[in-house]
Amino acid sequence: MVDLNALHLPDDPDEALAAVVALRRLADTLERRAVRSALGQGWSWARIAQALGVSKQAAHKRLSDIAEKSAQEIS
Amino acid sequence: MFSRIKARFNDMSTIKTLCEAAEAYALQDQQREPGAEHFLLAALDLPDGTARLTFERIRVDPEALEPAIARQYGNALAAIGLDVGAAASAGHAPLAARPVPFNASASGQEIMQQLAAERKAHGPLLGAHVVATIASMQHGVAARALRAMGVDAGMLKAAAEEIAKGS
Repeated sequence: MVDLNALHLPDDPDEALAAVVALRRLADTLERRAVRSALGQGWSWARIAQALGVSKQAAHKRLSDIAEKSAQEIS
Repeated sequence: MFSRIKARFNDMSTIKTLCEAAEAYALQDQQREPGAEHFLLAALDLPDGTARLTFERIRVDPEALEPAIARQYGNALAAIGLDVGAAASAGHAPLAARPVPFNASASGQEIMQQLAAERKAHGPLLGAHVVATIASMQHGVAARALRAMGVDAGMLKAAAEEIAKGS
């Protein structure tokens, strides 16, 4: 678990909440990059979903465009 | 009667253009649902030119908006002691569009609802109306980007309303 005390939480709620938004966005970007890499290494959606801790349907619904894009780039 | 129908048709056309452009900006920004910041960028592209004119009226370069939005994420992370460099900003491949009904994020929905509520109070929908609506928002990426650009939201709103009235 990350030590939250190591992070400086701004007193200004606007600053603190903006950091939350930015972290979510960063996590989304990392997720897309990791899924793209996993697909490139031949991982199935079932494996990816299990690793992400979500259902296969949920992972596919949210991230399937990564596979479509990768396939377009290969062809 | 005919002019009212025509005005409504024009508004629908403007909203369609606005939403499509906002969605394109959102996808470019790695987000599925456009937020207020994407609607603001989209307003600058509307052919009536009033959104762009609003920024110029208060001596702010509208071209500075997009990079200011991109910087917000890195700045927000830096404020909590995380330095992730350019990873937090734009510069990644855009998301692909999906054949699903248009859906805006919460801040985007707020703008659409506000524009709809004020529709009868003004003439044809203009980019300046969109700017005035977004200038009223105190929080979120759009508000933070405007503040970072040194924009006084009150002045921006007043300029937008003045330009919209005169158009």
